[in-house]
Amino acid sequence: MIEFRNVSKKYETGDTEAIHNANFKINKGEFAFLVGSSGSGKSTMIKLILKEEEPTSGKIIINGKDTTFLKPSRVPYLRRSMGVVFQDFRLLPDKTVYENVAFAMYVVKATPKHIRRQVPMVLSLVGLSEKAKVYPNELSGGEQQRVALARAIVNNPAMLIADEPTGNLDPNTAWDIMGLLNDINLRGTTVVVATHAKDIVDKMKKRVIRIDQGNIIRDEKGGYDGEI
Amino acid sequence: MRYNSFGYLISEGFKSVFKQKKMTSASIIIMCATMFMFGVFYLLGENVNYVMRQVESQQGMRVIIKDDASESEIDDLKNKIQQIENVSTVKFYSKEDALASMKSILGEHQDLIVGYDEDNPFPASYFVTLTDLSKNKEVQDKILKLDPVEEISTDNDTIANLSRVAKSIQNITLVLLTLLIIISIFIISYTIKLTVYARRREISIMKYVGATNSFIRGPFIVEGIIIGIISAFITIGIVAITYEATLSKILESSVMKSLSISLFGFTDLFIKVLIVYLILGTGIGVLGSTISMRKYLKV
Repeated sequence: MIEFRNVSKKYETGDTEAIHNANFKINKGEFAFLVGSSGSGKSTMIKLILKEEEPTSGKIIINGKDTTFLKPSRVPYLRRSMGVVFQDFRLLPDKTVYENVAFAMYVVKATPKHIRRQVPMVLSLVGLSEKAKVYPNELSGGEQQRVALARAIVNNPAMLIADEPTGNLDPNTAWDIMGLLNDINLRGTTVVVATHAKDIVDKMKKRVIRIDQGNIIRDEKGGYDGEI
Repeated sequence: MRYNSFGYLISEGFKSVFKQKKMTSASIIIMCATMFMFGVFYLLGENVNYVMRQVESQQGMRVIIKDDASESEIDDLKNKIQQIENVSTVKFYSKEDALASMKSILGEHQDLIVGYDEDNPFPASYFVTLTDLSKNKEVQDKILKLDPVEEISTDNDTIANLSRVAKSIQNITLVLLTLLIIISIFIISYTIKLTVYARRREISIMKYVGATNSFIRGPFIVEGIIIGIISAFITIGIVAITYEATLSKILESSVMKSLSISLFGFTDLFIKVLIVYLILGTGIGVLGSTISMRKYLKV
């Protein structure tokens, strides 16, 4: 599903490589953590998957397709196969919860009928059916992140990419979100979560790809620091 | 395009026009000012051309008849000239008519033509006017082949002067048009850049959920077009009022009354000017917004 082959990334402004010769493969239906301290290269990894950045060398294969030479005009269609969640939620403040989720369907030109059916369904999945008409600033952080999650999965993407999804949340709320990510994964969606929340990673006991200064230093099932 | 996405484009475009009130008004004012300048010179040019055509048609050409031609030859020539395509009127001036008109021109200096009454040196001639002035040269060539034609004289000075004026007005109009386009594209792209900046969050979300660039660009292009079209309509109103006022002043003046020359009424030119403005407004709107979007679409 997501495969890195000898991928290196060096930013024009930086002296050293942000990612050095990364090799890994995340299969369909898998749940994987990308872990490491800030500045380790996690975010670059996410940006490479989203094709927000181009690798300096190596190949990134997504859904069996080499995205290295993907034409810019095809990038939107690649992105439709992935849902994205960020640390800062990135909701539109002047749109209601319902509208924020519907917006994601709107821009990929879904039919109004499809939107009316799909949006309430995902809102109930993240437990926000009651808050459809509320604006984001009236919601708690955890609720806002759920809206973001609903938006990310509303178009039924094959994979869900989350960049520090619990970074702005208190531990209990963080757990709720992780539980939702796990539920989404159980429904067949591939989930990749970049995080440095050690306690969560340790408890989830999923595959952990650990990055340190641009190098993948470990890739196995278990906790943040290895087998528990 | 599906109806709902079309509706989305229009409503989003209008929303941002009204959100950025100050900047939008500023760009509309600047566009109107430049379009107005262009319109003034455009209308001036159209009128000079119009006047030129009228002067030309009143002028016609003088066909000088050989001195030794017989009366029947002269009558025959009239028929032949009338049969030529595009000839409108043919009027005969005898040798006596020519002398009389010279006398009236000279006024008190009659001594210059003393004795001409006995031996009139002025030739008889036909004054020929045309229906289609662009065929002027062809008609002249045909008449010159006829007998007993001596030569053709036309007074081209007035026309030459007028066409020089027309030419320079045309040049000024072109320069203004170029300036208008550059200034307007700049101001519109700046205005839309503000909207784009205000909505950069929305744009980045659209990019992440897989909206195509053309979909994202749509509302901003509509915004540009709306600004352009509003400016076009405001300007045409101002131009209409200004033109009508100026026209009535000009037509009231004694000079114009003495000449049998008319000018375009604004309604004659309205559709033409409106079309030019709308094309300009729309084109500038599209270009300006496309330019302002370039940076933000690279996510």
